[in-house]
Amino acid sequence: MTDGQEIADFAIDFATKQGAKYAEARFEETMAEGYTTRNGVMIGGGKKNFAGIGMRVLTKEGMGFCSTAKLDKDEIKKAIKIAVKMARASRRKEPIKFSEEKAVQAKWQTPVEEAFEDIADEDKIQFVQQIDKTLMEQEFGSALVTRTLILDLTRNKKYFTTNEGTKIESEKSLIAFYTFNTAKGVFGTEQRFYGQAGAMGWEWFKKEKILDKIIEDNRALVKTANLAKEASLGVTDVIVSGEVAGIIAHENCGHPSEADRILGREGAQAGESFYIDLLEKGTLGEIQLGSEVVTIIDDPTLPGGAGFYEYDDEGVKARPRFLIKNGRLNELLFNREFAAKFNTQSNAAARAIGYNREPIIRMANTYFAPGKFTLEELFEDVKKGLYMKSFTEWNIDDRRYQSKYVGLEAYIIENGELTEQMVRRPILELTTKGIFGSVDAVSKETEFPYGTCGKSDPAQGAPCWMGGAQLRLRNIRLGGGK
Amino acid sequence: MTESILNLTLSLAQKEGAKEVIVQHSFGPGYQIRFSNAAIDIAKKWDNNTLEVFLAIGQKTTQIDILDPSPTKIREAIPRTMRFLRKMPDSELYAGMEDRVLAYQQLDGLYDKRVEGLYEQAPDLVNGAINAALAAGAKRVAGVLYFGSETVELQTSYGFTGSYKHSYYRSTIRSFVDFESSGQQVVVGRDLTDLEKKLTNAGQKAGKLAAMAVGGRQGKAGTYDLIMSPTVGANVLGEITNSANPLMILMEMSPLKDHFGEQIAPENLQVIDDPHISEGLESKPFDVEGTPTAKTPIIQNGVLVGMIHNTSSAKIMQTESTGNSALLDIGMGSKVLAPETTNMVFSKGEQTFEEIVADSRKPTIYVTSNWYTRFTNMLEGEFSTIPRDAMFLIEKGEIKKPVRKLRLTDNLLRMSKNIIAVGKDQKQIFWWEVYTPTFISTIKVADCRLTAATQ
Repeated sequence: MTDGQEIADFAIDFATKQGAKYAEARFEETMAEGYTTRNGVMIGGGKKNFAGIGMRVLTKEGMGFCSTAKLDKDEIKKAIKIAVKMARASRRKEPIKFSEEKAVQAKWQTPVEEAFEDIADEDKIQFVQQIDKTLMEQEFGSALVTRTLILDLTRNKKYFTTNEGTKIESEKSLIAFYTFNTAKGVFGTEQRFYGQAGAMGWEWFKKEKILDKIIEDNRALVKTANLAKEASLGVTDVIVSGEVAGIIAHENCGHPSEADRILGREGAQAGESFYIDLLEKGTLGEIQLGSEVVTIIDDPTLPGGAGFYEYDDEGVKARPRFLIKNGRLNELLFNREFAAKFNTQSNAAARAIGYNREPIIRMANTYFAPGKFTLEELFEDVKKGLYMKSFTEWNIDDRRYQSKYVGLEAYIIENGELTEQMVRRPILELTTKGIFGSVDAVSKETEFPYGTCGKSDPAQGAPCWMGGAQLRLRNIRLGGGK
Repeated sequence: MTESILNLTLSLAQKEGAKEVIVQHSFGPGYQIRFSNAAIDIAKKWDNNTLEVFLAIGQKTTQIDILDPSPTKIREAIPRTMRFLRKMPDSELYAGMEDRVLAYQQLDGLYDKRVEGLYEQAPDLVNGAINAALAAGAKRVAGVLYFGSETVELQTSYGFTGSYKHSYYRSTIRSFVDFESSGQQVVVGRDLTDLEKKLTNAGQKAGKLAAMAVGGRQGKAGTYDLIMSPTVGANVLGEITNSANPLMILMEMSPLKDHFGEQIAPENLQVIDDPHISEGLESKPFDVEGTPTAKTPIIQNGVLVGMIHNTSSAKIMQTESTGNSALLDIGMGSKVLAPETTNMVFSKGEQTFEEIVADSRKPTIYVTSNWYTRFTNMLEGEFSTIPRDAMFLIEKGEIKKPVRKLRLTDNLLRMSKNIIAVGKDQKQIFWWEVYTPTFISTIKVADCRLTAATQ
């Protein structure tokens, strides 16, 4: 047992003695490493190791949280005493309850063939610089006037324990690569923030052909700056890629599915959810939110997924969550507190992004489930339409109903075939129901781009995949309402 | 103890071959109370204690954070980080750090010792604000109260030593009458005098706004004059002033690159980066290099006149540091020594909010809060943001009715050039959507584009 584990076990014993009816401690050790270049020249690089412990206590009057990097029993005692005192002073009329969950003893880790720590620092530096050089060697390279490349590597080890008997050890390796590039073309500049990440070792780059993806993405950026023209398409059919479908799955379905938002806990931060309106009138499994072909899953167990985990940060075993099934609202995202409010079990959606953050309800890897068509078959039935392959700007209201996605790489579809005619910055400004109700076909192929999901205060940026199948949306008015 | 940690780190780094070193130790407790549905959800305490170390040999740079620093951790971390530093290529961002030892002046009013015991009364203060919002018409109340203190001690390889202590509080209170009728207030500062009253007032105002928003309907998309509350102005116009930063210009994340010396706002608008306001949450006597902080004009008489600098960016652009150096995170693993804003201060105007409304003869939208500001192109300043909470249509100089579900889709520089009124109700804004403490009044902008969902 490590010192951190011993301190965590001590913490829950002490918190229980202080009167906490529930106590948990999460000891985390993190190794983080990052390299950043601008136009091929290194501008930042560093490595850091840190460790700390976060503790949550529940009393009948309220909940307290404390964290410290000082792994000393006297300091832990002081921190817990204050957390318990503040929890009691909260004087809630309605006590917080947790759903009953089985105590678990388990260990898990992401499979790693080649640990990033085993790659020499010089090789990592050269690796990032070489990617920049490779981009410049492409036929479009000179149009990429400003390039920022970031390699981010993290290993996070956790020991989670509760006074209910749960003890879980875990280790997750996450490799991420980002580009923020500006292309200059005949129609001005276009910018793109692009990220890929996987819960693997260094082998991720080769297995997932990340360099090829980066080159293709930048080729499209330059092409857009040179060829995309304003177009007024009126009401038209729109086919979106797995990347665009993924951000829709995340923003229009994943976030409103979070039970803490539905019941208002994020009211002053990430906002609430329009699902509350639906749940006041109907029940899960019956509420029709989209067409029959819409199925959206959030799955923490997807191998290699940036949001991968086997047990959540409350010790509940992870499983896929079918948020929308055949167009109907099927399942919400729960932690133990909100599962109890809905009189159900947690489905393991509690995540904390560091030892000094409370676990809250989060997505993991959210995606549109595949359908039965190839991409070409989706095009076949479109007389005149738009194919939106990637996006730039996006936002959505805090009830998750009014969304906007601005296309980057986008083409005209004519008589069932994709043309080379590019459209400049087409806008999907649609309600959630407007999107899900317009989908009439879904592709077999899937893709899983990366995103950092933002929520809570203080902010907790959680690594997630957001992707899935391509979608065909019928009769969409582009360009935002006027 | 702390002094020996700074000395130990510095001497060890120099012994290992570092030519330039910054050691900054920041420590102190932080607290948070989160609430929703008119009840406290969780009370938190953080023991913050971080040693930030910046190391350079020529243009090679790196840095490390050591949490809960001890001699043992320092003796392990510094040699390891120095080995890493030697492998780094030269950084084009680094042209040296402050090499003079300049006198700095302590700032009055940064620390209120009453903050140390505040955690005992804080839950009652929060419950008081919740009750005030409920009394003003709210059915539910959500929000957050942060408070705490921090001691910052700095030592550099050029002989600078300095320290200061500061405290802070900040609160957001959002009231709801129904799921779509809400109002929000932000309270920020350091001086705890009358904190209870400030929170209660904010609760009342948030509750009142929520009540005024009841019955709102889908707004009609189109072109309107736009009145932005201080909360909205701090976010939207703050995107312009915060990007008067060489790092952002270098990375093409700023629309300002080609506009220095140009009129980008009306002549009556002044904006400065001001690190010396006692209530300003980012006020400080010196920056991370030990350069004394100073007021830096960004917009003068409507003309874009300046940007913030640290030593390196100033050398590269052949000017002087403005004392804005900071260690900024890039991703999870690394930081860069680069300029960072302190408190952004927009000059006050002469009109009251009521006068601005009364002057609105064209159809005007009043937005009280917003979130989710995103860009299609940061160089061009093309963006959109979403009004949240109470929003109103003003016609013929009067607030006519609450409206909902509109999106501001516009261009940053077009908006700043079209400012037609500045209020005198200046306040400090810092919350979830505004990360630079910003002192700003109600501001009105002509001919803004509001869009809505098509289906």
